Amino acid sequence: MERSIRFRLNETLHEIRLSGERLALDWIRGEAGLKGTKEGCREGDCGACLVLLGGLTGPAGASAPEAGGGMEWYSATACTLALSDLDGRHVITIEGLAQAGLTPVMSAMLDEGASQCGFCSPGFVLALTGFLVSGRHIDPVAAMTAVEGNLCRCTGYGSIRRAAVRLALEFADLPDDLPGRLAELGRRGVLPPSLAALMLAAPPPAARPPSPSTPGAATAATAASAATVIGGGTDYFVRHPDPEPGLQTVLVDQTPAARRIESLQADGADWLELGAAVTTSQFFASAAVQALVPGIERFADEIASPPIRNRATLAGNIANASPIADLTAMLLALDACLVLVGPAGARRLLRLDQFFLAYKKIDLQPGEAIAAIRLPAEPVRFNFEKVARRARLDIASANSALAVRLDGEGRIRQAVCSAGGIAAVPLRLAEVEALLTDALPSVELFREAGRLAAAAGTPQDDVRGSSVYRRRLLERFMWAHAIRLWPQLKLEKALFS
Amino acid sequence: MKHNFDFIQNLLGRTVYIDDLPEPANLLHAAVFTSPSAHGSFAGLDLSAALALDPTVRVLTAADIPGQNQLGTAVLDEPMLAEGVWHFRGQVIALVLAGSRSLARRAAAAIKLVGAADRPAVTDPRVAFARGDLILKPRTQRWGDSAAAFALCHLVVSGRADSAGQEHVYLETQGAIALPDDSGGVRLMSGTQGPSGVQKIVARVLGLPMNLVEVETRRMGGAFGGKEDQASGWAALAALGAFATQRPVKIYLSRRDDMTSTGKRHPYSSDFRIGLDKDGKILAFEADYYQNSGAACDLSPAIIPRTLFHAAGAYHIPNVRVTGYLCRTNLVPFTAFRGFGGPQGFFVIEAALDKAAAALGLDPVELRRRNLLREGDVSHYGMPHEGVLATETFERCLARAGYPERRAAIQEYNRTNPASKRGLAVMPVCFGISFTKMMMNQGGALIHVYNDGSVGVSTGATEMGQGVSRKLALIVARALGVSQTAVRVESTRTTTVANTMPTAASTGADINGMAAQLAATEIRQRLLAFAAASLQLDPASLTLRDGQLFADPEPAAGPLLSFAALVAKAYEGRVDLSAHAFFATPGLHYDLATERGCPFAYHVYGCALLTVTVDTLRGRYQFDDAIMVHDTGVSIDPLVDLGQIEGAFAQGLGWAALEDLRFDDKGRLLADTLSTYKLPDGHFMPRLDVEMLQRPNPKAVANSKAVGEPPLMYGIAGWFAIADALRAARPGLELAYDLPMTCEKVLGLLTGDLVPAGPSGGEAGR
Ligand SMILES: Cc1cc2nc3c(=O)[nH]c(=O)nc-3n(C[C@H](O)[C@H](O)[C@H](O)COP(=O)(O)OP(=O)(O)OC[C@H]3O[C@@H](n4cnc5c(N)ncnc54)[C@H](O)[C@@H]3O)c2cc1C
Ligand code: FES
Ligand code: FES
Repeated sequence: MERSIRFRLNETLHEIRLSGERLALDWIRGEAGLKGTKEGCREGDCGACLVLLGGLTGPAGASAPEAGGGMEWYSATACTLALSDLDGRHVITIEGLAQAGLTPVMSAMLDEGASQCGFCSPGFVLALTGFLVSGRHIDPVAAMTAVEGNLCRCTGYGSIRRAAVRLALEFADLPDDLPGRLAELGRRGVLPPSLAALMLAAPPPAARPPSPSTPGAATAATAASAATVIGGGTDYFVRHPDPEPGLQTVLVDQTPAARRIESLQADGADWLELGAAVTTSQFFASAAVQALVPGIERFADEIASPPIRNRATLAGNIANASPIADLTAMLLALDACLVLVGPAGARRLLRLDQFFLAYKKIDLQPGEAIAAIRLPAEPVRFNFEKVARRARLDIASANSALAVRLDGEGRIRQAVCSAGGIAAVPLRLAEVEALLTDALPSVELFREAGRLAAAAGTPQDDVRGSSVYRRRLLERFMWAHAIRLWPQLKLEKALFS
Repeated sequence: MKHNFDFIQNLLGRTVYIDDLPEPANLLHAAVFTSPSAHGSFAGLDLSAALALDPTVRVLTAADIPGQNQLGTAVLDEPMLAEGVWHFRGQVIALVLAGSRSLARRAAAAIKLVGAADRPAVTDPRVAFARGDLILKPRTQRWGDSAAAFALCHLVVSGRADSAGQEHVYLETQGAIALPDDSGGVRLMSGTQGPSGVQKIVARVLGLPMNLVEVETRRMGGAFGGKEDQASGWAALAALGAFATQRPVKIYLSRRDDMTSTGKRHPYSSDFRIGLDKDGKILAFEADYYQNSGAACDLSPAIIPRTLFHAAGAYHIPNVRVTGYLCRTNLVPFTAFRGFGGPQGFFVIEAALDKAAAALGLDPVELRRRNLLREGDVSHYGMPHEGVLATETFERCLARAGYPERRAAIQEYNRTNPASKRGLAVMPVCFGISFTKMMMNQGGALIHVYNDGSVGVSTGATEMGQGVSRKLALIVARALGVSQTAVRVESTRTTTVANTMPTAASTGADINGMAAQLAATEIRQRLLAFAAASLQLDPASLTLRDGQLFADPEPAAGPLLSFAALVAKAYEGRVDLSAHAFFATPGLHYDLATERGCPFAYHVYGCALLTVTVDTLRGRYQFDDAIMVHDTGVSIDPLVDLGQIEGAFAQGLGWAALEDLRFDDKGRLLADTLSTYKLPDGHFMPRLDVEMLQRPNPKAVANSKAVGEPPLMYGIAGWFAIADALRAARPGLELAYDLPMTCEKVLGLLTGDLVPAGPSGGEAGR
């Protein structure tokens, strides 16, 4: 099936015809000939292929962007990005930044010696530039977080850190609004002024057909045609680094409606509903999510890396059905429900814990897609635990989330506890939940929870940990839940004596 | 210009690596079909599905090799394409060519083995040793009489230390482009540390004389030893493809192929015995190093001696017996990796000291201090140590770290935090500079001064990010008295400077810099002689500096001529504006029979102190501070050297704590992609505080010192800092000296869970 896509690459408009899906990285390096975007791993783990993506956004219902107000910019790895996903977007590569010579980001890195072999350098320049474009807080810590998706094997990061700190201090006073910021970055040479101006303008309208009225329905309808559904692509393209020629994909509908996070009353309950295209970054940044799950944003940095979070959808995390998926573990503890839509628009509601049938087998009928994820609207106390071999940008050895609601006396009225990495599917720990319900938090209670959690599931030995280790982690996660959720009880003293 | 042009290009994204070169129109892409298990045999290949994919697909096997099917250098034991048998998982069996890379990869995936059968495989070096399967004879170094000395010791402890291998993860994977040449030979662009080595192998494989094979290396996106010998096979495959098809062929490995099929740092398993007097002075040390050499020899015979040379670490030990065994296993042939056997040796002596300190009840820092090398101490291979900076760097490091106070603060922290413990370790280093294989300590340079005054420098050095080009440009600019911007460092080509050594052993700038300095000095002298003659001045009174010619008694009089004008005149005057020079490191000698001599031009010293906080609830850790005092000599470019120190340290720290290179007992690499193999990222790294101690070093160019490898050893402190924190959590804890200290081991040690021998290799999906 031939289709057209339309996008801006740096300062040039492109309209191309595609007969099958490809990786954006291959087109950028191949047809576009922009070799500054490097391939270091082809699986989202090194950041050498990092680009900046711009597109329209806006609150649900917003139709057209007012002058630049509706644009958003974020970093993404081109090796996990579908080429057809560029439709209606603006992509920036190192060539776009470098057209007028060294920018302040590059100069800071140069002065600090932050480039040796240079293979990682364009990725770092883009990550730091993207940070100045869209970072909420411009400070040294945030600047280093922005490069957590970038590996460098040469420098040891000392020089990169010094450059990042310098930039964060030098640009601490950037305006908060995107138009103001882009103008300022253009003035100060971080972006070529002509590029900065284009980054504010709406990208070319997408060539794909207009979005449907029922979010998810279009996705589902096309999915029925044996095309593959792609959300952010951060799982799919890791599993298929060399897509078959002629691969047909359907991108999860990315309209504002599909990216909504909104309260609603439906099917006899109050919910916070998340559209199918809600990304990990968006989820953690959402005020509504934070109001429902206070403190959840603390865990954002433990998931993947900024460029991956910017793309990875919650729905993709669920549908991928990895037993170790972090967002799934969180959503399980939050007692999420899925809204599934079939080819003919048929809807059904399914509790998330019923969605996983066996290893990588899910209750999704042919042509069905996840149209939305719903969270019960009553606020919870929440903790998430993950241990991976590396603290950042690594898949967990095991994970667990616990959400509790307390009564007036501090008794646990309701507890939902999930665990990942100990079975073929993400688990809910029913015995732990039963133990905690109606109990008062205490050392003994959580020691027992630890024993139960450690005995749960059927953990395997693999590169991310032995079964013994995973069981032990689960025990420790229960202790950690207690210590974090009831800091005033100072449980660590008793647990470690 | 303040900055290196290369680095500016990097940041602008304009640097061209192998895969970025313009592709010729008729280019074929290569992929490889590799062995599926650690050891096995096959009768043939079923190519039908692969060939059916596309008419451009072509498959080449050992039978298509016109010359010798052999990649080995020290020992001829490594076929380029397996013939009938394979000896490790990932061994290349067939080369697949096609019109696009993805097509080539898909065609490779469609090849099937015919009549394949697995054979028993050995992955453990001790098992190989027990079976007598050694690649070469063991090597033993002896000094004094360790057996007799143990009898006199107050304390003798022994133990075992294991260190895992390490994947290089150069961000640019292995690659090469081969072009058929109308001479009947081939031209190659190769991502190699050693173009002459590639030339030799390609010539051998194609059955050509070396003069029909031209190899050029512009740069590499990282190498770290992984492209010293092991770039040759990939280049030779591309060359074979180009030779057979008479079309250009490019090979650029996917990360997974690269990780599966290329060598890494050698895993070692070692036994040690150390004896001390009651004051904690080491009297005797013995060790046996079982090097897991992998399935073929590769550079292993040069790596074992570097382990032995560094067996005593930065300490003086009067009685030593150390033996290294090259154990053949069914794993990928292990190869050079920054440090080259040194780190494995350092880990063992540090483990021995750690164990001794615990047994003596002595502060490990104090125990190390008492045994540091001093001026004139003679090493266990008979080389007197000169210009020793062990104590000075050690004391400076402790002072910089505020040592006794820091220790006290850690103790206080540990007293008040039940679920979090801090630890500290100090790591002194003494590292010998020169190739351990003596003949390799030679290099050449060719300098052209063009008739407009611009300068081109060629040497055998290859640029892989370590800044050797920058150093060469500064050395030549200084020698010619011109600005650095006038000097271009050329790509490394076998037709320009021949018979070069790989850029390795930290010697790139030392050897090639010296050769370049000699060549530049030669041209400078010709120019000055010409100027003196034509201006009728005393040659001794003339100097070249800042791109100008001065007559020295009266510098105030201003320049006589610009360098460019002088060069133009010299050209008219028929002066040779090019010079070749050769340098062989002087003073080296070594007797293999007695294992005595002077194998190093000099040693590099330094010390690091590292602190860590261990979350004893979850078994995670975060390194806090690394303080390093490093002996750089007079640094040619401090920014480059600082980058080398920090970068090497990060690799060492990754090896010691994080990078989990494990094979299952079937020889399968468990972490074969970057999603499973984790190396340091920015968050992993502690705060870095580096002091460069700049004492002139008369033994190297411009009083500098080599810097590439020695700081890697500092990372070993990471293992011992965690161990220190674990002992704070569990006083008296017995540790297995098993590197890396992963989170899993940390929690296992804290809880007393048995750490199983190794995973069986289940699903590692996301
Ligand atoms: C470098 C890297 C690091 C990562 N780190 C983590 C981590 O720390 N924790 C973690 O949990 N995950 C991690 N992941 C995995 C991945 O990013 C997440 O699982 C992500 O949420 C997947 O979302 P996606 O939108 O990119 O999925 P995609 O790749 O687009 O899709 C994944 C699967 O879901 C299907 N699918 C997508 N959307 C729908 C829908 N609406 N309805 C039905 N089916 C659908 C697709 O067909 C596909 O099979 C990482 C990935 C990478 C590349
Ligand atoms: S190539 Fe490594 S993240 Fe894309
Ligand atoms: S400079 Fe080489 S990987 Fe970063």
